[in-house]
Amino acid sequence: MDVLTVKNLSVSFFRPEGEIEALKNVSFTLQEGEILAVMGKTGCGKSVLCKSILKLLPDIAKIKTGHVYIRGEEITGYSEKQMQGLRGRFFSMVFQNPMTALNPCMSVGEQIGEMVRLRHPELSGRERKMRVAELMELVGLDHAGERAGQYPFQLSGGMAQRCVIAIALAAEPAVLFADEATTALDVTVQAQILELLLKLRERAGMSIVLVTHNPGVAARMADRVALMRDGELYRIGDVEEIFEESTPN
Amino acid sequence: MKKKFPVISMLILTIIVFLCLACGLTMTKDPLYMDLAHCNEAPGKEFLFGTDEMGRDVFSMIWYGGRISLTVGFLATLISTMLAVLIGSVSGCASARIDGVLMRLTELILSVPGLLLTVSLQVVFGRADVYSLSVVIGLTGWMGMAKVVRTEVVQLGNTDYVLAAKCLGGRFFHVLFRHLAPNLFPSVLFMAVMHVRNAIVAEAALSFMGLGLSVEVVSWGSMLSLAERALFSRAWWMIVIPGIFLTGTLLCLTNLGEYMRGSANKRHSNLG
Amino acid sequence: MWRKFLRNRHLIKMVNNIGKFLISVFVLSVLVFTLSRLAPGDPLYAYYGERVEKMSVEEQDQARERLGLHAPLFTQYVRWLQRAVHGDFGISYQYKTDVKEVIAAGIGNTLLLGGLGFVLIFALALFLGLFCAWREDRLADRIVCRIGTVTSCIPEFWLSLLLLLIFSVWLDWLPSSGAYAAGGGSLSDRAVHLILPLSVVVLGHLWYYAFQVRNRLLEEVRADYVLLARMKGLSGRQVLYRHCLRGALPSYLSMMAIALPHILGGTYVVETVFSYPGIGKLAYESARYQDYNLLMVVSLLTGTLVILCNLTAQLVNERIDPRMGVRSASAGGEVRRL
Repeated sequence: MDVLTVKNLSVSFFRPEGEIEALKNVSFTLQEGEILAVMGKTGCGKSVLCKSILKLLPDIAKIKTGHVYIRGEEITGYSEKQMQGLRGRFFSMVFQNPMTALNPCMSVGEQIGEMVRLRHPELSGRERKMRVAELMELVGLDHAGERAGQYPFQLSGGMAQRCVIAIALAAEPAVLFADEATTALDVTVQAQILELLLKLRERAGMSIVLVTHNPGVAARMADRVALMRDGELYRIGDVEEIFEESTPN
Repeated sequence: MKKKFPVISMLILTIIVFLCLACGLTMTKDPLYMDLAHCNEAPGKEFLFGTDEMGRDVFSMIWYGGRISLTVGFLATLISTMLAVLIGSVSGCASARIDGVLMRLTELILSVPGLLLTVSLQVVFGRADVYSLSVVIGLTGWMGMAKVVRTEVVQLGNTDYVLAAKCLGGRFFHVLFRHLAPNLFPSVLFMAVMHVRNAIVAEAALSFMGLGLSVEVVSWGSMLSLAERALFSRAWWMIVIPGIFLTGTLLCLTNLGEYMRGSANKRHSNLG
Repeated sequence: MWRKFLRNRHLIKMVNNIGKFLISVFVLSVLVFTLSRLAPGDPLYAYYGERVEKMSVEEQDQARERLGLHAPLFTQYVRWLQRAVHGDFGISYQYKTDVKEVIAAGIGNTLLLGGLGFVLIFALALFLGLFCAWREDRLADRIVCRIGTVTSCIPEFWLSLLLLLIFSVWLDWLPSSGAYAAGGGSLSDRAVHLILPLSVVVLGHLWYYAFQVRNRLLEEVRADYVLLARMKGLSGRQVLYRHCLRGALPSYLSMMAIALPHILGGTYVVETVFSYPGIGKLAYESARYQDYNLLMVVSLLTGTLVILCNLTAQLVNERIDPRMGVRSASAGGEVRRL
């Protein structure tokens, strides 16, 4: 069964100077445990796609037409309150720049712990701490006890991104959006993070929407690839199919 | 997203300023003439805004006194702004040591409560008239502005385009006039407008407390200094009318200043 | 051991700060002293009143000698400083008693008015700031901002007069002056006398600080971490309370420190209008009647408070904000100059 189905989604930004169409008639499906890479140039609407599914866009953006289904249930008309129930349970997201995505005034342990508490309010303080340590170990942060007390500025970019991933995992989501999750990191760290995402897919069985502009990343990770241009999703298919026809000769 | 120009505020301000400057035309009576037959008269046909306890016509006093209040505000601002730009830019351009001394001194003067500083300085100058009061208010109001000017100058000095201009062989004064002055102008203008406001309040408060202009010199503040006795005689017009003009002018100036501060925040809230 | 002691960074910083404080207070005292002695008006008049004119020149001389008004300015300052260090600030020319006693009589009233005002202002400013940030640019926020701008433009003394006119002259609900009724002094009596002055103090300052809290929060709300927090399933209000407020807290606290003397100083005008027997009224009277000993001590007291509060604000900024580490790292390095 499809975890996520998007049908004819159109989104526009209404600015004082006029309407800007950010998404035009986008349709795709995402299967259980699948990695779908969404590729395209900067500004083609990849990020807007993720954020509009999650309804995290600013006020001036409106969904004009289209439908979003999760496991067959339509969520297009969900209120903010209902969306809050889905975010951090069904959906989770890893952002592009870990240094700004983490709250600079909160220790990383607290930030991961907050997600754990929201997902499992029944856990006691000690159990929560243990779960945080577990998660940190899972994403490859050693010395979890010490690290938990550190603030984002004390971490390197790679470590901070691991924290963001730990937060995303604490939500135990069915669908994880990774919005350029490795773009801000250097190449070796990039490879480690991608490896981590693959490993986590195996273990947790979640589906991943991997937004990237790097064909190498898409080819290595994805089961299927969707190509976007100017707000349109113009091609979607298996990774071999796409890369065979788009490579010259 | 540009802020909207405060049309109404500008309009009201223009009208008030114009009518005060042209007070010879707007006045229906001699503002200084004490008509002892008509003391403490409520607003009516003959005396549009009533009369004060000395029989002076409040309507005429408003325009006549407004001119003095505005003059003090403008003169004081002129003095403060010149001082602030001078001290701020010297501090921003000079060596770290001179900068440090100047800024510590500024902060020190800033640490004396404004009212006390003004009062003490006024005492040095002797009996207050329009000019000495303007000088005193001007001399006590430059510190905040100077700090901002200094910060701007230091920041601008650190920008790459100023560095580029210097690398291309721009001379000191070239850099100063071509690059610094245009960038400094908006923030100085904003603060100057706000300072007109502060100076008008300062004049009014001092005159009201009997430490500024005396009752014979008509200004909005000195008119209000009669208010305490007006309270007992229930002459509400002596309290309400000058105050409304004072507050209205201040409000319009604030709106204008806010507009000049520059465009609103461009980014959108993430809060949804 | 000595070396280790000296290397302690916090200690050096503390000594440095105390030094800064002492120097500032010293310069302040010189400033205040010079200003008060430069002023015209014979302190002799303030002390003896009209009787001065009846005194012979010798008698006047003797009186001056007794009050120490003869010596050159520098000597006068040194003498004054010597006595001040021992806690002797001279006598108030006007009240003809020890300055300390005059001030002691008023300081409690001012602290009550200013302190209550301070607490109210900052509690309300936080509440209003949060509310406006939450409803940014919607109707409620716009209305509050409009009203706030208008109240912040009303001069304190006029607001006092207006409230007096409405509540004590027209409606006759509240007393117009003093801190308590003659012979009275019960708690409820004091409370009734506080209502009007307190309202003016609070209304006069509230919006300035509420607006700053609002703007600071609006900056926070635009940060990327808000998206992550909402991603967790928190509502907008929860994000504001749990995340954004933390980011705004350091500037809120340092604002509080800087505001303290301003709010206490703001009571000057209010105290005068309401004849509320506090330091502000003393300052006003001493300036009016050229009671320089008193004026100097009041100025020194307030100035010292300001210096102390500014130092605190600086320390708060450095200590509380965990981001300072990054900021100073990125802002570090040499400052280019023209």
